[in-house]
Amino acid sequence: MLKAEHLTCGYGGEPVVKDLSFEVPSGGRLCILGPNGCGKTTLLRALAGLLPHEGSVSVAGRDLASMSRRQAAQSVALLSQISSVYFSYSVYETVLMGRYAHQAGGAFSGPGPEDKRIALECMERTGVAHLRHKLVTELSGGQLQRVFLARTFAQCPQVILLDEPTNHLDLKYQVELVQELKDWAAGEGRCVVGVLHDVNLALDLADLFLFMEDGQAQYFGPAAEFDPAALNRVYQMDVGGYMRRSLTRWEELK
Amino acid sequence: MKTAAKMAVLAAAALVALILGVGVGSVFIPPDEVCAILVHFLFGMPLPEGIDPVYPSLVFNMRLPRVLMAFLTGAGLAVSGTVMQSVLRNPLASPFGLGVSAGAGLGAALVIVAGVSSGLLGAFLLPAVSLCFALATVVVVVGFATRLDRSLSNTTIVLTGMVASLFLNAIMSLLSTLSPLYAQQISLWTLGSFSSKEWSQVAVLAPVTLLCTLFFLRFSREMDVMTFGEEQAQAMGVALRRMKWVLIVAIAVLTGTATAFVGIIGFVDLIAPHVVRRFFGAAHRRVIPAAALFGGAFMVLCDLAARTLVPPREIPIGSITALIGAPFFIYIYFAGRRRR
Repeated sequence: MLKAEHLTCGYGGEPVVKDLSFEVPSGGRLCILGPNGCGKTTLLRALAGLLPHEGSVSVAGRDLASMSRRQAAQSVALLSQISSVYFSYSVYETVLMGRYAHQAGGAFSGPGPEDKRIALECMERTGVAHLRHKLVTELSGGQLQRVFLARTFAQCPQVILLDEPTNHLDLKYQVELVQELKDWAAGEGRCVVGVLHDVNLALDLADLFLFMEDGQAQYFGPAAEFDPAALNRVYQMDVGGYMRRSLTRWEELK
Repeated sequence: MKTAAKMAVLAAAALVALILGVGVGSVFIPPDEVCAILVHFLFGMPLPEGIDPVYPSLVFNMRLPRVLMAFLTGAGLAVSGTVMQSVLRNPLASPFGLGVSAGAGLGAALVIVAGVSSGLLGAFLLPAVSLCFALATVVVVVGFATRLDRSLSNTTIVLTGMVASLFLNAIMSLLSTLSPLYAQQISLWTLGSFSSKEWSQVAVLAPVTLLCTLFFLRFSREMDVMTFGEEQAQAMGVALRRMKWVLIVAIAVLTGTATAFVGIIGFVDLIAPHVVRRFFGAAHRRVIPAAALFGGAFMVLCDLAARTLVPPREIPIGSITALIGAPFFIYIYFAGRRRR
């Protein structure tokens, strides 16, 4: 489905991601874990086709580099952490913008009935349909991220890339967001690739793990049977021990 | 109120401003007579009895070109300001921040100091040189920004624009200081004025303003997407770098042409987009035409104030736009805040 082969990329000639190869099958949910500065976000940008790279990234057999920006956006969408919005569009207008890549590029052409139907459907799906006439500048962080999720769905991509989308969200919203992404990925010909800082949330979302250290893969394989030692190595700490300690605290509360 | 109704109200207000602008002055022409004269010129209808025979030529040769220049300039600056704020995703951005005004000012100052005249270009020499300088400045600024930063990020554009503006302004001050004979003329030019405007200038500015506005409307969906951030816009399918170049060059052409004819007039480009967004939302297909109407009407009224408040002297138009604009802006901004 999504395939990276000998991917090397970086900024100003300095490689940040070094010779990475992996493949995510249809229905797959890959989480990338690693310490700050290991190249996770750079990798995501390359997978979105936003960064020049050596090697190749392909979606369903088509090389991303051979596509126009518009075509690439039809294949790959990106959901980032919530950033501030300065312009007061309505929720509906915002979700409809997700259809941009699918609309004709001609002069003065706007969204068609099909675009509007999909936008409404995606708003229903993420539970923001009742907010459709509200302005995005008036929403809470949790609501705003749901609107952006609806917009990402409306883009109808084959791959959704996640760049720490749960940052600044309440626990409840984080769990719900992950569930919605899992449901989405279960559809035919889709996959999710994400960077999440919360290891527990990543465990919940992923069926595949990629542990990165210094731009290279330390582990790539099924999430169910990953090697905890590899995780400890990339984070340079006892991750399992930390998790168990916090679990003990919950146990003691009973 | 529906968008169409709001737009109709705004258009009607703009028309009233135009009629007022033509009617009020050292000689007052009543609105009904202004309308009759305009209809006479536009459709060849006979003039009604009892209109002073001086009025038609006063309207046609003096008032109308001036008022139209004010309207076009206001519309152009407001539209450029709107686009600039969206492209840079910064509510305080202004086309002048690209170095348009500094470039135009230096070009004008050079022509004034050199005292050159050209038979071929005539009265168009100063605006032509001024426009060339404005365009060259923007191309250098954006080109340099691209060199510094391949992705052409907003911060880089703002910084290079600011440095270029300061640098060119310094050269202009140097010119003024070194040639005190022309210093007053230069400073008057930079303050902006609509006095002694002619139809030939309207004939240049009108098509430029109309074409640029239509051009921006064509890209209103791209600009909508761009307001959500550079990376997001790209991921949603906008070819960002090319889009930025294209829009910035069009902004430079529009503001550069207006500035070359009338001088540097601030504030409209900054406030018009904010005022209009309050009433029409953020979508560019509505904001751009509304900004054009509002900016145009606002400038016509400011010019009316500039020439009638302390007759026979004229207040520089730039100070009027700021004097009226600043409190008006604060009012609109905070009135909107309180409603939330």
